[in-house]
Amino acid sequence: MLFNKKTSPRALAGLFLVACVAHAEPGDKPIGYVMKVSGEAFVVTDGVARPASVGMPLQVGSSLRTGPAGTLGVTFEDSTLMSFGPNSELKVDEYLYEPAKGDLKLNANISRGTLNYISGVIAKLKPEAVEVHTPTGTIGVRGTHFLVKVEEAGR
Amino acid sequence: MMTRLFGLLLFGLLASGCASKPSSYVVLMESPDGSTGAITVSTAQGTTLVNQKQQGVMLDGKAAQTAVPVEPQRIAADFTPALNAQPALPVSYLLYFKSGGAVLTDESKLALQEVLKTIISRGPSAVSVIGHTDTESGAAWNEKIGQKRAETIAKLLRDNGVQVLELVVTSHGERNLLVKTPDDTAEPKNRRVEVLVR
Repeated sequence: MLFNKKTSPRALAGLFLVACVAHAEPGDKPIGYVMKVSGEAFVVTDGVARPASVGMPLQVGSSLRTGPAGTLGVTFEDSTLMSFGPNSELKVDEYLYEPAKGDLKLNANISRGTLNYISGVIAKLKPEAVEVHTPTGTIGVRGTHFLVKVEEAGR
Repeated sequence: MMTRLFGLLLFGLLASGCASKPSSYVVLMESPDGSTGAITVSTAQGTTLVNQKQQGVMLDGKAAQTAVPVEPQRIAADFTPALNAQPALPVSYLLYFKSGGAVLTDESKLALQEVLKTIISRGPSAVSVIGHTDTESGAAWNEKIGQKRAETIAKLLRDNGVQVLELVVTSHGERNLLVKTPDDTAEPKNRRVEVLVR
């Protein structure tokens, strides 16, 4: 997405972020992008799964999913990086990045698979605003790099 | 040493559990800058702080909450595909300007070539361009100069074939000084544009 340079990106970002919290719709300002993909990988937004490709935008509420031989890497607006091994699924439940107003939030839920996580500006400015949920626990991020593996129940 | 051995043993036991399959766990790693941060892990059993690299906590819903070392082989076996899919780390550059306008210093003109080469080699990127000024002249004027500087760089990026997924151009004027100075102070380090490439 290319901004018209005459508009005020700051004002636009603020408006779009408010819209994102209320309900994520395609066309909202992306919160991040797919940067790396191999094999079967999907971005699910509003219930529609699209095969992931480099440059594909992510929205609040998007799920990231990989197949048995798929991997996927995404970069968020605040420079948070996430990458996934095969058979993984993570949903971005909340994302707010408006440092000038102090509105910061990253709340994600990994239900299965493997995640490599490198935190960005949100964790640096407001560590308590970042949470990664798994089926049995919650990871609070104090600005760092971690790996998490979630084995599905019953497997 | 004994605790360490015990930890490894404990983790092995916990990991194997009843089934032979490795279970769910989280492990802290060294950050890209060489430091090690921290995570907290909260489960039904309580909350644990992990602040040593390659220390992990089980997430199987049963194990006691202690941070234990995770063997590198185990990490490699479980996470190599995820680690290989990691996008390029975001980078940022500073370009400096001559006083009062949107003309790059001679040094930054040279630096720009390197910056362009690096950004282009990364492939499609989300780019933020933020213009700054020193405290000479009024605040309102400096907002405009900052914007003009940022737009100059944004145009150079576009004209030189940088593939931008998004290009956000903003001005912080004199509100975000790199070197703190009183008002009405010429400071070359403050007359800059920050290019953040994700």
